[in-house]
Amino acid sequence: MAHAVPVVSDIAFSDLLIDPYPIYKRLRDMASAVYVDAAQLALVTRFDNIVAIERDSETFASSNPGSLVNKVMGHTMMRKDGEAHATERRAIEVSFRPGTIKNHWAAQFEAISDGLISAIENQGEADLFDALAAPMASLALIELLGLREVSWQTLARWSQALMDGAGNYSGDPEISARATEASAGIDAAIDTVLAWHRENPNPAVLSSMVNAENPMNLEQIRANIKVIIGGGLNEPRDSILSLSLGLLSNPPQLAEVMANPDLWPLAFEEAVRWISPIGMYPRRVTRDVELSGVHLRAGDQIGLCVGAANRDDRRFENPDSFDLFRPKQPHLAFGAGPHFCAGAWVARQMVGRIVVPMLFSRLKNLRLRPDAPARIHGWVFRGPVSLPVAWDA
Amino acid sequence: MPTITFITAEGKEHAVTAEIGRSVMEIALEKSIPGVVAECNGSAACATCHCYFDPAYADMIGAIGEHESDMLDFTASPRRPESRLSCQVRIADALDGMTVRIPAMQ
Ligand code: HEM
Ligand code: FES
Repeated sequence: MAHAVPVVSDIAFSDLLIDPYPIYKRLRDMASAVYVDAAQLALVTRFDNIVAIERDSETFASSNPGSLVNKVMGHTMMRKDGEAHATERRAIEVSFRPGTIKNHWAAQFEAISDGLISAIENQGEADLFDALAAPMASLALIELLGLREVSWQTLARWSQALMDGAGNYSGDPEISARATEASAGIDAAIDTVLAWHRENPNPAVLSSMVNAENPMNLEQIRANIKVIIGGGLNEPRDSILSLSLGLLSNPPQLAEVMANPDLWPLAFEEAVRWISPIGMYPRRVTRDVELSGVHLRAGDQIGLCVGAANRDDRRFENPDSFDLFRPKQPHLAFGAGPHFCAGAWVARQMVGRIVVPMLFSRLKNLRLRPDAPARIHGWVFRGPVSLPVAWDA
Repeated sequence: MPTITFITAEGKEHAVTAEIGRSVMEIALEKSIPGVVAECNGSAACATCHCYFDPAYADMIGAIGEHESDMLDFTASPRRPESRLSCQVRIADALDGMTVRIPAMQ
């Protein structure tokens, strides 16, 4: 017999932010979906349940009339389903194809990475968050989108303002104001370059949007550029840091990758499994349905905790450890189903093939600083917020 | 309904009847054939539904699209002339008797 969604009230929001993993384990062992008061959502934490949900987008929809994302960014592809989603997704596809990335974007990512590493090479120590990961992700995204005369700091500020706005459930007016301001800034930045992209087809996302077989209109362009700015900056940034941290904390594995560069892609996949940059994303239940013994009702909001599924001990042995030699099997860090991350191949190339390999080959004897430990934070979005390192300069 | 036979990397054969119009990937998942992962559920975005298709049926399974071809260059197991993304191949009567080999890695 299916039973109602169990409720948990003794978890503080701050516990989730500091270390969600013990909480995830408790929820996974409890039921397929558990309503957590602090999150105001029923959380799904088991690997198999999330895979099943993502194979049924009619029952578990991405569209959500009341969503804050829609209010802050407009109607983006991330919150659409079916054909409406597929048409917009196809319009950006060519910019994100693995071949386009290899032949076009890789050289640009390399140049940006080289510039940032050269700038700190003689310093002997740095916090990789500010010195490398944040500017790298932002500068790469500016190129990829096809924006011009926007500084990396401005794009990073816009990205944060949009994400804070999308998570502003308490309606804080200051957060709303910042999101509105970012939104206006992005619209203006698009206006500056859009005509040029229309007349000069090129691999940038803005060019793909206007020159696609089914081109997007201005409203669609604005909304989808915002969703990419909100969702395409922190994740590569955070995965640069998690991959670096995973290897620096496991010197024997680091030695193996340095000896055999073909292992870099595996190391990258393991890093995003270990600390998934997007820990949770939402779905809306459209009809009464049973999920492994739990009764979900039409209208329920559920949170798919891929950060939890990627540490599901039914699936992964010693799930909490970083081990790039674990048997290769799929993870859910890029989501699954129709909304499978559009930027997955960009991230793989940029982080796993270019930036982190270059970092370790250029900065000799790179090491953690025992006096200044790394700090990791967050659950919906999770990653190192500080990664102080030293090297032989 | 046409019958198609999946052959896993270990050489195990699974003959299944397949509904017209569905994708080969969908049939593989429905019949729990191991080795077809299909992370993106048919959006041609993940390249984890890669299979090797019987060359005898090459003319019947439809042409490779430009996007699909690009994705196939990045599969975990080597691309071969008979490589396709199984989510992009639709079941039709003419495919009766076809074999589909599943690669060792997705
Ligand atoms: C390690 C890096 C990354 C991770 C872990 C990641 C993760 C994800 C996840 C979990 C989703 C699904 C969200 C949902 O279904 O609600 C997603 C969607 C998306 N991601 Fe990423 N992402 C990364 C990098 C990027 C980059 C670099 C870009 C673009 C420059 C990007 C663009 C997108 C877009 C446009 C979508 C929406 C796709 C759709 O709705 O069809 N991502 N990503
Ligand atoms: S299922 Fe993802 S490419 Fe076919």
